[in-house]
Amino acid sequence: MAGNFWQSSHHQQWILDKQDLFRDRQHDLAKLTEEEYQKVFNFFASIIQVLGEQLKLRQQVIATATVYFKRFYARNSLKCIDPLLLAPTCVFLASKVEEFGVISNSRLITTCQTVIKNKFSYAYGQQEFPYRTNHILECEFYLLENLDCCLIVYQPYRPLLLFVQDIHTQVQDDQILTYAWRIVNDSLRTDVSLLYPPYQIAISALHIACVMLGKENLKPWFAELNVDMDKIQEIVRTIINLYEMWKSYDEKKEIQGLLGKIPKPCPAPQR
Amino acid sequence: MADNFQNKTMASVMMDYEFKMKTQNERSKVEDLFDYEGCKVGRGTYGHVYKARRKDGSDTKDYALKQIEGTGLSMSACREIALLRELKHSNVINLIRVFLSHTDRKVWLLFDYAEHDLWHIIKFHRAAKANKKSVMVPKGMVKSLLYQILDGIHYLHSNWVLHRDLKPANILVMGEGPERGRVKIADMGFARLFNAPLKPLADLDPVVVTFWYRAPELLLGARHYTKAIDIWAIGCIFAELLTSEPIFHCRQEDIKTSNPYHHDQLDRIFNVMGFPQEKDWEDIRKMPEHATLVKDFKRSNYQNCSLSKYMDRHKIKPDSKAFSLLQRLLLMDPNRRITSEQAMQDPYFSEDPLPTQDVFAGCPIPYPKREFLTDDDQDDKSDSKARQNQQQQQPNTQQNQVQANNHDHAANNAKRMRMSGQNQGNNTGGGGQQEFHQQQQMMFGGQQQGSSNQQQGNFQQRF
Ligand SMILES: Nc1ncnc2c1ncn2[C@@H]1O[C@H](COP(=O)(O)OP(=O)(O)O)[C@@H](O)[C@H]1O
Ligand SMILES: [Mg+2]
Repeated sequence: MAGNFWQSSHHQQWILDKQDLFRDRQHDLAKLTEEEYQKVFNFFASIIQVLGEQLKLRQQVIATATVYFKRFYARNSLKCIDPLLLAPTCVFLASKVEEFGVISNSRLITTCQTVIKNKFSYAYGQQEFPYRTNHILECEFYLLENLDCCLIVYQPYRPLLLFVQDIHTQVQDDQILTYAWRIVNDSLRTDVSLLYPPYQIAISALHIACVMLGKENLKPWFAELNVDMDKIQEIVRTIINLYEMWKSYDEKKEIQGLLGKIPKPCPAPQR
Repeated sequence: MADNFQNKTMASVMMDYEFKMKTQNERSKVEDLFDYEGCKVGRGTYGHVYKARRKDGSDTKDYALKQIEGTGLSMSACREIALLRELKHSNVINLIRVFLSHTDRKVWLLFDYAEHDLWHIIKFHRAAKANKKSVMVPKGMVKSLLYQILDGIHYLHSNWVLHRDLKPANILVMGEGPERGRVKIADMGFARLFNAPLKPLADLDPVVVTFWYRAPELLLGARHYTKAIDIWAIGCIFAELLTSEPIFHCRQEDIKTSNPYHHDQLDRIFNVMGFPQEKDWEDIRKMPEHATLVKDFKRSNYQNCSLSKYMDRHKIKPDSKAFSLLQRLLLMDPNRRITSEQAMQDPYFSEDPLPTQDVFAGCPIPYPKREFLTDDDQDDKSDSKARQNQQQQQPNTQQNQVQANNHDHAANNAKRMRMSGQNQGNNTGGGGQQEFHQQQQMMFGGQQQGSSNQQQGNFQQRF
């Protein structure tokens, strides 16, 4: 489907309006500040990233899983499904869609257990990963429903490669791609994948990379692009804000408190 | 109010009760909306297909409900849903919606109902031929069918989707109604996006194209599926439409090997096409199984074989436009095989009769409607019995039954088999880029998490 972003469900259904997104979050924002909300998503994006790396998934698959995760909570409160369950479920579903192959259930659960224990003990302490295969499978159905079966997600990586190829005719610098690629990875920690088409995110990442590397001579290249520069600026600002936030944020210290604050699922009433 | 109880026990509440109830109430169940019981019309490798009607009578159209084999979301179910959700073309089957049945974990896909398919259509012609009866169809029917198949595949290919399992059973044709006589390419369970091979395909997938429709390069161990592989299958279907016989029909008793190399199928291809000359397919030497080919086959055994002779025996003249297009679709060298776009430009399609949107061109449709399959053979998962049952209800010859069964075996084997990943085909394509796709590092995102450094012919003729 790489050929046709404009007719895709991604473009037609899943480029959300900022106001709508904000409105749908009100339930969660009653318990968390906007910044705290972002930190929580930053944390779960890390979990997805590390899980994906442990499972040797390609970055494209990890990015798709992250977008599923964000899409689900764009329409639902954190209360609806425990994000610690939804995160691996997104990885599981994305790996099938992106044809990584089906990850065996037991391998997925074992990986979750070791990852939570070894890499996220600062958040979960001695608590073990509490879910089993049947939970993931049940959750997967809810996820698919809430995604409205839109499973193909366009990522900025491909347009990025194309832009970099184009730039290469003017400036030979492999660092540009390396930097921009990583910035795209970072952008998964923000809302940009819900708000802007991937090619705009790619251009923004390139833009930031060029500024970092002092590539002044690429200004004309950007100027010639037929894109809405206001949008690019918005994306750039969002990503830069993320970097600013990281400077003064110590996840290891704060995350337990934040996880304590997020709205939790309520069990069936006991009668 | 439940907030007070949020202590230890809360940790393992995975889903909010209210959310669960709300979604449950909003979710429509397939059995509430549709009548389909006892109306099974198809059984393929990956599912059971029912003819269905809306219960509320809001329309009286027929629908097709495909219940995916097994429970939960298999990879093929995911792929079919993911792709069909995005695809929209008049020659590609339209997925209307998906039902997830939470209680039995079944996945249902709702499609427009297509009364016919090429498997049944060709079978009908073969049976008629065996009984020395004729079937009246418009002169341009085969041409129209082919044109629409090409149109649909061109759409898929230009959207970076490979079908990978083209065969007559997966080419549907609409019956009476607003889309009368329209081709619908179906069964996307194997289809994949081919823009970014994550892994060599052979490692992931069961052998996908039934052997009769498999391109020679696949049989010689090609590691990657290509558009050309779909085109070969279309060539096979075209030949079968022209002659009512599967052009590369091959007995398939003991396909147990996990090796893509298939001696008998290659032998059959050479028996029709002749053994490829070096100059016709230069890269054949680079095929993983080339050594086996050289060891197993003698060119001299196929000296008198050629596609023109084969088709001539089936009354398709070598100087006809149909033949010359067929020859371009069935080129042994995948690099020389034409694309769907080129095929659609072929003079065959600008020669009278011109292709029509309704492949039956307004004439009566001679083919029977789909019959309901019985559920007697519940525990027999293979669809051969079902099709046998169905055949008993139609005039047929023994030979046809044998062929039909072979056909089914092929489908079933395709499901079971895995291609071996042992052939170290040259890893072509985008070396540097490929590696970059692994790139998982972040610009700054590493800091808290230490995002690890690990890298990541025409039927008018009487039969
Ligand atoms: N939309 C449809 N309308 C009518 N019959 C259909 C439809 N889709 C499939 N069928 C019938 O069911 C059979 C199996 O469906 P298919 O989608 O090919 O599933 P499988 O993946 O199991 O092969 C087809 O060969 C055809 O006979
Ligand atoms: Mg099929």
